[in-house]
Amino acid sequence: MVRVTAPVLVSLVLLGGCAGTAHLEIETSRFPVPVMQKAPVRLGIHLDDTLTSYIHKETIEKKGDFEVAVGPAQKDLFNNLAMGVFEGYEFVSENRAPHLDGVLKPNIAELQFSLPSQTRSDYYEIWIRYQFQLFDREGNLIGNWTLPAYGKASQKDHGSKSTGLEEAALAACRDAMAFFSINFTRETMVSQWLAAGKPLVPPQPAAPAAQTAAAAAPAAAPAAATPATPDPAAPSTVGEDSGGDTSPDPTNVLNNENIAADAATGAT
Amino acid sequence: MKIWPTISGILAVTALSGCVTATVEQIRETATSMGEGDSIVVLGRRNRPSQAEAELDFIDCVSRKVAGGGNGVQVISEQEFVDAMFPWFEPRTAPLNTNELPELLQQPILAQRLREIGLKYLIWLEGSTQQTAQAGSMSCSISPGGGGCFGFLTWEKDSSYEASVWDAHTARTAGRVSSDAAGTSYMPAIVVPIPIIARVQNSACSSLADQLKQFVQNDA
Repeated sequence: MVRVTAPVLVSLVLLGGCAGTAHLEIETSRFPVPVMQKAPVRLGIHLDDTLTSYIHKETIEKKGDFEVAVGPAQKDLFNNLAMGVFEGYEFVSENRAPHLDGVLKPNIAELQFSLPSQTRSDYYEIWIRYQFQLFDREGNLIGNWTLPAYGKASQKDHGSKSTGLEEAALAACRDAMAFFSINFTRETMVSQWLAAGKPLVPPQPAAPAAQTAAAAAPAAAPAAATPATPDPAAPSTVGEDSGGDTSPDPTNVLNNENIAADAATGAT
Repeated sequence: MKIWPTISGILAVTALSGCVTATVEQIRETATSMGEGDSIVVLGRRNRPSQAEAELDFIDCVSRKVAGGGNGVQVISEQEFVDAMFPWFEPRTAPLNTNELPELLQQPILAQRLREIGLKYLIWLEGSTQQTAQAGSMSCSISPGGGGCFGFLTWEKDSSYEASVWDAHTARTAGRVSSDAAGTSYMPAIVVPIPIIARVQNSACSSLADQLKQFVQNDA
């Protein structure tokens, strides 16, 4: 007969405790200020509640529930980013800032993550798709663009799921900062707007709320050659996390091939 | 009796060190030297998921050992460096070869930052330690009268790392240093398991760090 001793009990408790909810947050003190020539623009940065409270919730079978809270870190992220990239900036509460050149409004359109056991690799991985909207100082949409970001952390370096995913999320946020910093003035629409002296663009005609944003981008774009990116405000199957659905999404641009392609075009 | 301290000593030594064989190779392309105030940084390649991505603790180990000892050189930590040079040395933006360095260094603000930290050499590290074989079995049991293990386990590990040394002043590759180590660990158990661990990764770290230290100081 085998007695259930104290060490065995401890082991059972530990094994049973693996399937809880893992709540992950990003360490905001690790967002550096970009070292670069600043863009000649003074922008308002509008971070709405949708962004700052963004939490991705997902249930993975046999692995438990996950909550990846990237929203609370966005204020620090964009503060440090703007400090290094723009000549001047301030946080604003709407898309209009008459005393500045324009307003930048970021949003997270999608977040996905994977565990090493899912991909049979050594890595915790996170993909974040940011959407950026740029408005003139009167709140008229100049254009928008998408920025896919990717971060990974090796399970060799991070023993637990929590620390591994937190490190991957931090890496994805830094990747977004890095790519935005280097490519902000290279965005066709941004560079044309800057070259034109940061003018006002014609206001958009009023439209029903659900259609306003969808109509705004193409209407604002002719002179600015807006890239063909999905509109962030348009109904989307990827905008809100449903939890537990890990099936492949044909609209997903967040994969390694794209990241590699971006790396090829984005490196210096 | 003096025999017990002797046996204990032997057991302690064997528990600490299994057999490891390590080889180091070096290719030099240009002369190197370290002056007053010069520093180096050891960086891991992380541009895409790969089995050859060096572990953080290995990079830390190499950095510490290059900085330590009598002829240690000044080393900037990886995190400190990538933060100081952000966003130019992130996984997606870091230069992949020395051809990309001049364009980076043309930016006055970056060149100024590099001068401030006194960077002379960038060392890119790639490689990993893998378990290559495992054999044997061990069983442990617990009974009212006590418990114990019986059996024999053995496993092999193989470390393979390569360091590419870039001269930040000339924007050229100064050379490469590679370190390979392999070793077998054993764990016999007669009631109590006795681990005889081959510290393969540590051996690769020590030999690579020693060689790098000599390489950048042109003592090889």
